[in-house]
Amino acid sequence: MSADHARPRRRLFAEGTTIEDLKTYMAPFAATLGYKLNTESEFVDEVLASELEILADTGDVYCPCRVRTGDPKEDAMIVCPCIPFHMVQFAAIRKCWCGLFIRYDVEDGGELLGVIDEPELGAQVEVPVCRVNDLAPGQTKHVKAGKTDYALARVGDEFYAISNVCVHAFGPLADGVLEGHELACPWHGWRYDVRDGTTNHPDADVAAYPVTVRHGYLWLTCAL
Amino acid sequence: MTIRVYALSTCPYCRMARKYLDDNDVEYDVVEVDLLDGDERAAAIAEVKDISGGTSFPVMLFDDEIVVGFNKKRMMELLSL
Ligand code: SF4
Ligand code: FES
Repeated sequence: MSADHARPRRRLFAEGTTIEDLKTYMAPFAATLGYKLNTESEFVDEVLASELEILADTGDVYCPCRVRTGDPKEDAMIVCPCIPFHMVQFAAIRKCWCGLFIRYDVEDGGELLGVIDEPELGAQVEVPVCRVNDLAPGQTKHVKAGKTDYALARVGDEFYAISNVCVHAFGPLADGVLEGHELACPWHGWRYDVRDGTTNHPDADVAAYPVTVRHGYLWLTCAL
Repeated sequence: MTIRVYALSTCPYCRMARKYLDDNDVEYDVVEVDLLDGDERAAAIAEVKDISGGTSFPVMLFDDEIVVGFNKKRMMELLSL
């Protein structure tokens, strides 16, 4: 096998990356998940300055408030912005762990600095999971919040969420084809109604979850 | 009361928590986990995971009471400030 076929190498950040570079790449990505940079700009610069030190030291922008364990899988979950890996917890505290990002609906990020009022484990938390504009009519999208994998679906201007896991052999439903309200599993074609998760296969319905639309985002209610 | 703070040198809330303790003349031990190497680092990470169930900082022990994050309200209660 030639070197071209070797396992892809991770691309890390270039030397000379600046705080502004980080903001420019991170803020639009965070926005897709319902977050914005903290309104306390000095604090933002302080956190990002720490990230640049870590970058110089390790080659990536790891979280300044979490520790790298050396396990690549664990460490990948603390590269900034780590929001997709902590959707329910961050939605509950309305910011990311460090407070670099705050939920888009928080006006004064200063009020959240250092405050950690985490609801009890198992509490129901409303979680922004996707921008309305990122899901076109007729499309589906997989999102993971907490331990649950959801298939989001848009039919016209109605939004639905069902379990992403097909009951037949665990196929990823969001990769399937949506026709009207019917989502066909990509693996063997079992068909589910995205409105209620029902299928015409006996005893094989999947869970359906209510979706709320607020300020341009889709929200799911998830257990912490 | 024995107080121990597990901190990272890079973490703003660790700095805030330590400043809060210093400002109130509270004595504490501190373990700066990211400044350790090799076995010492691995052992400190294992302790943090064991105490807090995660790897988020700061992690503070007030005798047996655990505080994760710069939770000033909880620190005030534990220190009777
Ligand atoms: S907690 Fe915040 S600062 Fe830390 S990695 Fe996640 S998004 Fe970045
Ligand atoms: S896994 Fe979905 S139809 Fe087989």
